[in-house]
Amino acid sequence: MRLCIAQWGLGSCRGRQNPRRLPFTSRSACVLIPGQRSGAAWVMVQLRPRASRAPVSASAMVDEGQPASEEEAEHGLLLGQPSSGAAAEPLEEDEEGDDELDDEAPEELTFASAQAEAKEEERRVRETVRRDKTLLKEKRKRREELFIEQKKRKLLPDTILEKLTTASQTSVKKSLAKLKEVNLQKKNEECEKGSDSKKAKEKVQKVQTVGQNKSYLAVRLKDQDLRDSRQEAAKAFIQNCLYGPGTNRTTVNKFLSLDSKRLPVKKAAAQFLNNAWGSQKKQNAKRFRRRWMVRKMKTSKK
Amino acid sequence: MDAFGGPIWSMAASPSGSQLLVGCEDGSVKLFQITPDKIQFERNFDRQKSRILSLSWHPAGTHIAAGSIDYISVFDVKSGSAIHKMLVDRQYMGVSKRKCIVWGVAFLSDGTVISADSAGKVQFWDSATGTLVKNHLIADADVQSIAVSDQEDSFVVGTAEGTVFHFQLVSVTSNSSEKQWVRTKPFQHHTHDVRAVAHSPIALISGGTDTHLVIRPLMEKVEVKNYDAALRKITFPHRRLVSCAKKKQLLLFQFAHHLELWRLGSTVATGKNGDTLPLSKNADHLLHLKTKGPENIICSCISPCGSWIAYSTASRFFLYRLNYEHDNINLQRVSKMPAFLRSALQILFSEDSAKLFVASNQGSLHVIRLLEGSFKHLHTFQPQSGTVESMCLLAVSPDGNWLAASGTSAGVHVYNVKQLKLHCTVPAYNFPVTALAIAPNTNNLVIAHSDQQVFEYSIPDKQYTQWSRTIQKQGFHHLWLQRDTPITHISFHPKRPMHILLHDAYMFCIIDKSLPLPNDKTLLYNPLPPTNESDIIRRRTAHAFKISKKYKPLLFMDLLDERTLVAVERPLDDIIAQLPPPIKKKKFGT
Repeated sequence: MRLCIAQWGLGSCRGRQNPRRLPFTSRSACVLIPGQRSGAAWVMVQLRPRASRAPVSASAMVDEGQPASEEEAEHGLLLGQPSSGAAAEPLEEDEEGDDELDDEAPEELTFASAQAEAKEEERRVRETVRRDKTLLKEKRKRREELFIEQKKRKLLPDTILEKLTTASQTSVKKSLAKLKEVNLQKKNEECEKGSDSKKAKEKVQKVQTVGQNKSYLAVRLKDQDLRDSRQEAAKAFIQNCLYGPGTNRTTVNKFLSLDSKRLPVKKAAAQFLNNAWGSQKKQNAKRFRRRWMVRKMKTSKK
Repeated sequence: MDAFGGPIWSMAASPSGSQLLVGCEDGSVKLFQITPDKIQFERNFDRQKSRILSLSWHPAGTHIAAGSIDYISVFDVKSGSAIHKMLVDRQYMGVSKRKCIVWGVAFLSDGTVISADSAGKVQFWDSATGTLVKNHLIADADVQSIAVSDQEDSFVVGTAEGTVFHFQLVSVTSNSSEKQWVRTKPFQHHTHDVRAVAHSPIALISGGTDTHLVIRPLMEKVEVKNYDAALRKITFPHRRLVSCAKKKQLLLFQFAHHLELWRLGSTVATGKNGDTLPLSKNADHLLHLKTKGPENIICSCISPCGSWIAYSTASRFFLYRLNYEHDNINLQRVSKMPAFLRSALQILFSEDSAKLFVASNQGSLHVIRLLEGSFKHLHTFQPQSGTVESMCLLAVSPDGNWLAASGTSAGVHVYNVKQLKLHCTVPAYNFPVTALAIAPNTNNLVIAHSDQQVFEYSIPDKQYTQWSRTIQKQGFHHLWLQRDTPITHISFHPKRPMHILLHDAYMFCIIDKSLPLPNDKTLLYNPLPPTNESDIIRRRTAHAFKISKKYKPLLFMDLLDERTLVAVERPLDDIIAQLPPPIKKKKFGT
């Protein structure tokens, strides 16, 4: 969305171009104002007229010509006069110029026509102002919306926030329930998970997968072990130098299959099938099969 | 106590036994004084750049060699400063990006330092000048352990490929006095890394990641070439790790850091002899109890009624009460253990589950009465004369009167539980006891020793039984004595007093005391002959030892009731499948 100010000579407004610059050329600019979502609207905005540097030769001034005809219109261009074209706006200087050049008596202007012209002018001005206002308003509105959206993006989406609050409430409730009841079933499960009976009472749901995409987990720090950096470094060192990248280790499967390879009647490897292969494909296939069955049932019913 | 150097990588005691050196993660070597009551920090040696992975004392106690990453340092003990820093090549005759880790060092009395490193080299260094004397490339993978014999004329190294090499100091020519180190024998008895080796006067002992302990006697050192001089491979533990609660059909498995309680499945199908019946109700995993802290579980037991579980680590004792309701189980810990119950070597419950017997590692035996949710200490039997052994076994008679304990070198003590005093002592034998049990009605104590001898001692009569004397006079069958694995459990049939059921890792046997004993000429292992054989032949070949090798390797076997036997097998393939990966070996044709 860019503001393009194009400076046009008057002729271009009328469709005719004259590259020569002339004194007292009224400048009018066609401004492209970015519309909201529709195309740009061209508006005529009046600019301050600029005085030319070079003095105009008298001959140019003397040139005669009726503004009505095309030739004169061209000449009028030379002089910088506006012709009485459709988009032309009456300008005082040109009238002055007009007066100087024209020896004839001024045109008769009735009051009504002048009034009509003035009214039209007023209307036009009002309209431009209104249009400007509405455009500015729209611009402001759009800016506000943009800011709101950006702010919203910073915070977590509503759904996740809701989930978090409800989850924390239910977990608190659950812990209380556990403390109160001496439930065999729960204890059975907890014991099977390998904790002491006291721990079972205090344990709250450790891991809550919150969020639709489940890209993070919420865990209690108390359940994690304290890490000793030197211990971790030592463990990593021994693991790396014995089983790390540079060592020449084989897999347990290959090691156990070595004998079956050397038998007179060759047998298959110890773990011949790789059940983990293509798990995503298998899942998709299962889902598709289920849907197909449902569809088949529906069509067969009909 | 904390050495404040980070994880400790190596430890070595001085030849005099009064000092201890510790090599830490941060590169410091710390010296500790060993006093009878405690270990006290003395001072630090010069701190090195990388972690100290191996340590070795000079036999005179004046110098030490410390192996680290890419170098070996020689320290002077008095001053604590590093005299030499010998740089180890990263690869035999070459360069490499991987750092060379010195896994083992050994200091000989002539000043030679032997180093074993991760590039597969064994190097000989002169500690006086700090230079390399000889370089041997023995493996493609790491050489991980080294052990020197007492006479310093041979040493053994273990590699990551599973090979064990024997180096010997031999003279250069047959009648010269100059000697040199020569690699003499390779032994390939392991499939995975060999992480520890030891050199005894007559044998090389190696152990590694593949869970086997291999004892290889050296033929030139062995005087008598008999069965004892053969290779021994020990795979399974020599103690019982499974307890059974007979009434509730529960089994308690003891692992290193947790206990598992399983209920046995059942079947309603019937079949003929030798069939495998399908289970109608599967085995149930009832409980998985993890121990707190880093210590291993030493011993554990479940009471016969299934309501108490007790286990002990090196510093703590735990007692739990179990409640069974419908199909669920409720576990409660009994807190506030008494102070004397710290570390137990063996735990046993009485048959009526009212008493708990604990043998502590100081040699004393505690008797505790179990009440609902709590306990009451009844009595402590103090250690009798004789040194306290590290392995202790307990047995209690089914009627609850007698308690047998083998924990001292003075023999097996039998205590009267009702009167709480010592009843008698079985005479000492020079081999340790591996299994102990008291028969139900006759109160005969059956003892199995590690040399495969089995004794039967009558407790009320305070003497060996007639059957035991007979078999001792005749002697066991030679194949029985040549078995590799010791007997780990003995049990009895409640209605058949003449039967003794015992098992080791590869067989289980029912000894029928009413049948004749086999002599060396008869076939020891004679499974049931086919039915078309005549009765006479069957009677002729029948003898007291009925052995079955159907289930192996056996971890546990016991009689649940009169008609049911439970056997727990642990296949070796399962264990191997869970081991860390071995070094890749290229075999021709694969």
